[in-house]
Amino acid sequence: MKGVKAMYLKELSELDGVSGDEGRVRKFIEEKIKDKVDSLKVDIMGNLIALKKGTKSNRKFLLAAHMDEVGFMVTNIEDDGTLSFGPVGGIDPRVAVGKHVRIKGELAGVIGYKAIHLQRKDELLASPKFENLRINIGAKSKEEASRKVEIGDYVTFATDFRCENARATGKAFDDRAGCAALMEILEKGQRYEDDLCFAFLVQEETGLRGSAVLFEQLCPDLALVIEGTTAGDDPGLPEHQWATHLGDGPAITFMHRGYVVNKKIYESILQVARKYDIRHQPKRRTAGGTDAARLAKTGGGVPAGVISIPARYIHSPLSMIDLADFNNTVLLLSKILEEGEGFAK
Amino acid sequence: MDTVSLLKCLSGADSPSGYEDEVLKVVEENIKPYVDLVKKHKMNTLIAAKRGQNGKKLGIFAHADEIGFVVAKLEERGFARLEPIGGVDPKVVLSQRIKIFTNQGIATGVVGFLPPHLQKEDQKDKVPDYNDIYVDVSCSPLCEAVSVGDICVIEGRCASLGDKLSGKALDNRASCAALILAARELETIKNRSDVYFIFSSQEEIAGPGAVYVAYELGLDGAIVVDVTHGNEHVPQMPQIKISEGPALAVGPVVNREFYKALCDVAKRHGVRTQIEPTPGRSHTDTDEVQITRSGIKTALVSIPLMYMHTPVELVDPRDVEETARLLSLASTVDL
Repeated sequence: MKGVKAMYLKELSELDGVSGDEGRVRKFIEEKIKDKVDSLKVDIMGNLIALKKGTKSNRKFLLAAHMDEVGFMVTNIEDDGTLSFGPVGGIDPRVAVGKHVRIKGELAGVIGYKAIHLQRKDELLASPKFENLRINIGAKSKEEASRKVEIGDYVTFATDFRCENARATGKAFDDRAGCAALMEILEKGQRYEDDLCFAFLVQEETGLRGSAVLFEQLCPDLALVIEGTTAGDDPGLPEHQWATHLGDGPAITFMHRGYVVNKKIYESILQVARKYDIRHQPKRRTAGGTDAARLAKTGGGVPAGVISIPARYIHSPLSMIDLADFNNTVLLLSKILEEGEGFAK
Repeated sequence: MDTVSLLKCLSGADSPSGYEDEVLKVVEENIKPYVDLVKKHKMNTLIAAKRGQNGKKLGIFAHADEIGFVVAKLEERGFARLEPIGGVDPKVVLSQRIKIFTNQGIATGVVGFLPPHLQKEDQKDKVPDYNDIYVDVSCSPLCEAVSVGDICVIEGRCASLGDKLSGKALDNRASCAALILAARELETIKNRSDVYFIFSSQEEIAGPGAVYVAYELGLDGAIVVDVTHGNEHVPQMPQIKISEGPALAVGPVVNREFYKALCDVAKRHGVRTQIEPTPGRSHTDTDEVQITRSGIKTALVSIPLMYMHTPVELVDPRDVEETARLLSLASTVDL
């Protein structure tokens, strides 16, 4: 684990890239990895695909992480100069209240809420809804706001990244943590037996859409999806409902929505983890889905495994991961690649 | 310091009711050059006095405290439960960074939220309340130092939104800024009362703050400066608008002649004001100050503010400046 410090996590977390607007993240990754791969392209959907030749080249091994994050889109500019907005991806209106936001990656706004003094009893006892929330950019009128914002502009939380006590807090760890892990692998500059395709995907949060166009372009033989996944090991849930535990290592998925992980791959991941005594844990819930489900269903189907970095409070402005989990994920991944053709044979 | 920088500085001071020291320090530094005397009162109130010429005493009050929390319970593995200090809507607390003032320094934690993936049906529409809210402090090196009784605030960030400003505790730091700016303007005003600027404590919990100072100083007149709901539709009320100057309250808690004199002086000097009908209590320090000793001629001046008691309270700095002009001119009103 020495030398691995989640070097790109801060930048990746603070970049804004809601589904459909991944350009800033893509540009950053492209810039950092372009000299470390054999070829690089951006496809029609906006996926960034990098290839690294293997020493044997008998198999094509796809490694995927998604670049997009959940966020919002401006849906209307109101007469009073405030902005109506809707969620892009699964985001609960309750986490949006009272937050600073960023529009188009640059313009500051806030999501206010009716003062507690003015709320009627039914309002006090009502859960916030998007239809009642507005973004305020300090504009007095529709005209003034329209000079700065257009309908369709993307919005993210203006969360800064912090790392203390070996735990990182910030936005978009789902799945910038996965992107950062893949970038760490590329940083090693190593060649493995298999040809490797690194795919930094778009639109995972809006229905696994970026990964849908990979098979046609790459025909991979097998795949691993690297995710930032739900933890739930907090007082919000009784212990038997926790999905993963922060600090217990990468979570290995047996099954999630729409896909039971290919048994050979699942077991091979566990074998490698045990062989090198890398701390890991099973993902204990089957909630949520990843691009593995889409990969399994497109074209001729790609057998895929899922390795996840446990993250608390994902799909909110402030998620949390344990750096040891991140480091162990990178370690596990690199050991899997070192196995070469022996992995999931 | 310009108005925006002053507001940002005051907003950044973390001082929930009863723990006003930090903000009073900022106030003292900024008001000292413009007054004759600054003294800290034993009840966490700062009084800054500027002598006048006409022998009357005008007190201008702004509470300096803000809403916040106290750690009420600790759970295993670095989770803390909160109780609010003042009226903090639990709906604005989720997914915020929380600064906890431990005896070893500030521990910053985050309020967690169950992701949609793990929510059961009955959790999906649930209204947030303090029974469900917890702070995850496992991300702080001072995790172990957190104790029951530690004071907390939502970590603030003060952002310029065009020509407006949004951040925490602008209720009532916007008024504190107005008092400081008014003290500066007093230099240019002749034939006026002694003016006492009073930065009081514990307003947010309706605690002892302004009252005992009003008692001790023996004032001839008092103006309480607070914030009011801007750009909100309150049934049967005129809308108080952001960017259109301070609102002057009219109603039983306000001395009618004093109110009229303030309107008059504002009009003569081109200060924009708005009217805020206050048929009952004002729920500001005005209510108590008016009935101190044998009664004090009291007025209430409010700065329009949106999203009160959220971390993104919004004001127009020009309203703060207009309020300061009105307050300095008030020192010339006959008491």
